[in-house]
Amino acid sequence: MTLYPQMLPLFLVTAAAGALIGRMVWRSAGLSGRAGALIVGPAGLLGPLLTMVPLESCTFEPGRDAMDYAVGTVAFFGGAGILITAVAWIGRALSMPGGLSGMDKSDQAGTYRNRPIVPWMLLVPSLVILAIFLYYPLLETLRLSTHLVRRGAPKEPFVCVDNYTALLGPSLEWWLLAAIGGLALTAAATWFSQRSDQDGLSDWPHRWRRMRGLFVILTVLAATASVFGSGYRPVFTTTLILTAGTVLIGLALGLGIAMLVSQPIRGRSIYRTLLIWPYAISPPIAGILFFVMFDPLTGIVGHVYETLTPWDMPNYRTDPTLARAVVIMASVWKTLGFTILFYIAGLQNVSTQMLEAAHMDGANAWQRFRHFILPSLTPITFFLIVTNVTYAFFQVFGTIAYLTRGGPSGATTDAMTSIIDQSRGNIGDGAAGSLVLFAMVLAVTAWQFRATGRRVHYGG
Amino acid sequence: MRRVRALIGVATAAALTIGLAACNGGSNSAEDNRIDVWIGFTDYRLDWAKERAVEFVEKHPEYTVNVEGYDSYEVLFDALTAASQQGDPPTIVQNFEAATQESRDAVNADGERLFIPVEEAIDGRDEILGEPVVLNDIVDAARNYYTVDGQFSSMPWNTSTPVFYSNSTYLEEAGIEEPPATWEDLRDACDKIMKLDDGPKNCVSWPNHAWFPEQVLAEQGGLLADQSNGRDGRAENIDLTSPEWLSFIEYWQEMYDEGYYYYSGVQEDWDGPKNAFGGQEVAFLMTSSGDATAVVSEAEQVGFGVDVTRYPVFADAPYSGNLIGGATLWLVDGLGESTQDGALAFMQYLNNPENAADWHRTTGYIPITNSAVELLDEEGWYDENPYQRVATDQLALSDGSPAAAGVLLGSFVAIRAQVTQAVEDILTTGADPAERFAEAEASAQSLLDDYNLLYTE
Repeated sequence: MTLYPQMLPLFLVTAAAGALIGRMVWRSAGLSGRAGALIVGPAGLLGPLLTMVPLESCTFEPGRDAMDYAVGTVAFFGGAGILITAVAWIGRALSMPGGLSGMDKSDQAGTYRNRPIVPWMLLVPSLVILAIFLYYPLLETLRLSTHLVRRGAPKEPFVCVDNYTALLGPSLEWWLLAAIGGLALTAAATWFSQRSDQDGLSDWPHRWRRMRGLFVILTVLAATASVFGSGYRPVFTTTLILTAGTVLIGLALGLGIAMLVSQPIRGRSIYRTLLIWPYAISPPIAGILFFVMFDPLTGIVGHVYETLTPWDMPNYRTDPTLARAVVIMASVWKTLGFTILFYIAGLQNVSTQMLEAAHMDGANAWQRFRHFILPSLTPITFFLIVTNVTYAFFQVFGTIAYLTRGGPSGATTDAMTSIIDQSRGNIGDGAAGSLVLFAMVLAVTAWQFRATGRRVHYGG
Repeated sequence: MRRVRALIGVATAAALTIGLAACNGGSNSAEDNRIDVWIGFTDYRLDWAKERAVEFVEKHPEYTVNVEGYDSYEVLFDALTAASQQGDPPTIVQNFEAATQESRDAVNADGERLFIPVEEAIDGRDEILGEPVVLNDIVDAARNYYTVDGQFSSMPWNTSTPVFYSNSTYLEEAGIEEPPATWEDLRDACDKIMKLDDGPKNCVSWPNHAWFPEQVLAEQGGLLADQSNGRDGRAENIDLTSPEWLSFIEYWQEMYDEGYYYYSGVQEDWDGPKNAFGGQEVAFLMTSSGDATAVVSEAEQVGFGVDVTRYPVFADAPYSGNLIGGATLWLVDGLGESTQDGALAFMQYLNNPENAADWHRTTGYIPITNSAVELLDEEGWYDENPYQRVATDQLALSDGSPAAAGVLLGSFVAIRAQVTQAVEDILTTGADPAERFAEAEASAQSLLDDYNLLYTE
């Protein structure tokens, strides 16, 4: 690795950040802030090497453009962040009595009664499998993403971060400005309503806070979209649309059907079994089924539609909106059984006493649903959001591959599909794309735990 | 009981291990006269090849020939790459014409060339193991395409060219006397057919595959890449914005916008257009001559007449020729002499006049040697089935120029995918052909640059 002059201020920044974080963490644990700064500061200085050594600090070479520089800076801070977090976490635990057992929160911490050999031996099989099938492929993907790779080719040249910059192309768009404007307005409104409502009786601060939360999400999404170039931006939007469609429609429909089959009706166990069936079908099979049903020449859906209505059924293979709708339909149908299963289980746990009490107090069916049943189901909903988002990110690909192959004109090319497409020319492009998807999943997971975690209600 | 089960488990595991080891041992020895043939068909064409393999082994009992079918040429090429990287490639591989450059550049696990040019392996012999060498008798169209650096790099087998199929029942109803011979005629014919009261939903269809616009480019003498279409040296620049290229893309868009062209909505979909023609949903079809037998017999079953004619041209443009498509048989390098001779003999056997004629009759691929054409002529095959002659005649019109010979290009399959994607955007979203193809040219160029970076010193 070569040291280029532009990197020196960055090293200063990460070292200073490490020292500050160390001081803060150590102090909050009741330890000496200076010791923390001395331990974590060097981590900030050395952390960037985690990414800069494999990259040979190529992004800071003379002659590189601003995009390379930007990606390089992100990688630089990323490396620093990883090492700072690790050192701060482990170092703080070690400098306290109890050693490594202090790594968990105090109420979850534990320690070994004897020597920890047996537990480690029991863990080894899982760790070996994780290492072979998860950690090694992850590192290999990182390596591939900086190379030009083609199966069977005699060479594998290093291409710096070209595979990443190919995805990027930031531009300022009106929708980003609109989102930022909306965020500023709602933030201001929240602030004023809180100030004018000193006694805390009004509903408005609460409502404005919700609006502000919505605009935070919109702004983050718009900002992310505006960073991507013209090639990847539609992929990002498509992924969002397909995910939102699958999760929202799937959960709403699943809950509705679960409520129906939870009613005391004759033969409901048969309905339940039949409803759960689609879950046992693999995503590609769902794709083939819908492909056949919606076939423009011979499909049954077009036939029924044209018999019942005076219009021609548009061809979903050339109509972008319809294509997305059909993909969402197929994946909702596919996940519905799973959603229903969990909602039925959840509904059985809703306290009947509470519902009866509400009934006596004059709450109508909607109010009982909105204020009692829905809040009681939040743990299930949270779990289902996590699993369905994961499904939409990774599994819908199987359906798309057989239903639309990402078409028409990329209208159903989601992140996974685009990774496969890109890997045809250069596997390195696919690797870069899959790391971008990985980052997206990490961000969504973090947001889910933060946002839903606050409102999840586990009873007790 | 538990002990018995454990014993059975151990025995099964042991049997599996030994079995696997035996399999491995079987395929690794070089001089075993075992010929593995991988081809990209899984239908009646695979059965045909397997029957020929059985006959060959009857004549040459010292050899074993295993023919294995793959879903498509692309799947086959992927499997080939994986196998050769693991040091265990088959003996003969059927690679399609778009992979010609990639096959020439392919290397094995040791970094040496994967395939030996068949002409080099034949080394001037007239017969191998008693099978006459037919390489000198190959028809010109295939010779021009597959002769690279002055010699055949692979053994031609299935060769086709796109031809034009008309539903003659619709033609009569619309009062059209001759099937359209030019793109302008086709539009006029569509004007009439779409006005029929019980006419088809759309007028014409063909797969959204780069092969079709490439034909029109070649007809007009246009080149897809520099270095004379990659035939004077490695192609380095690709051209997807030439007026010859865009003229047909614009025509295609107009035909779609007017509701004349039926797009199945799936890229590189060979079945959709064919089914639309068979179901009389369109009056005209353009597809490979390799489907001629199937298309005509389906029409007979459904009960409408079919005319097969040449691929249309632009009325006032020059004509260079139409391109071939199909695949050739590549011989893996580094085999033992006996295995290599067996493989070469099998290739000659597959293409001897009787077999080449039978292959043509079964499929509609052109008879690949001149003597096969003569044989069919003598049999009176063409008098009974004049439509089967169209492809051969069409290819004979070629002037042999680089434009008509076709392009040799690295990453050609991925580049073709850029073309079909651009066409889909132009049709379904109304993108401007010139602008969209400028974009496609840039992505295709970067694919080609990447490829050339990997395969040149």
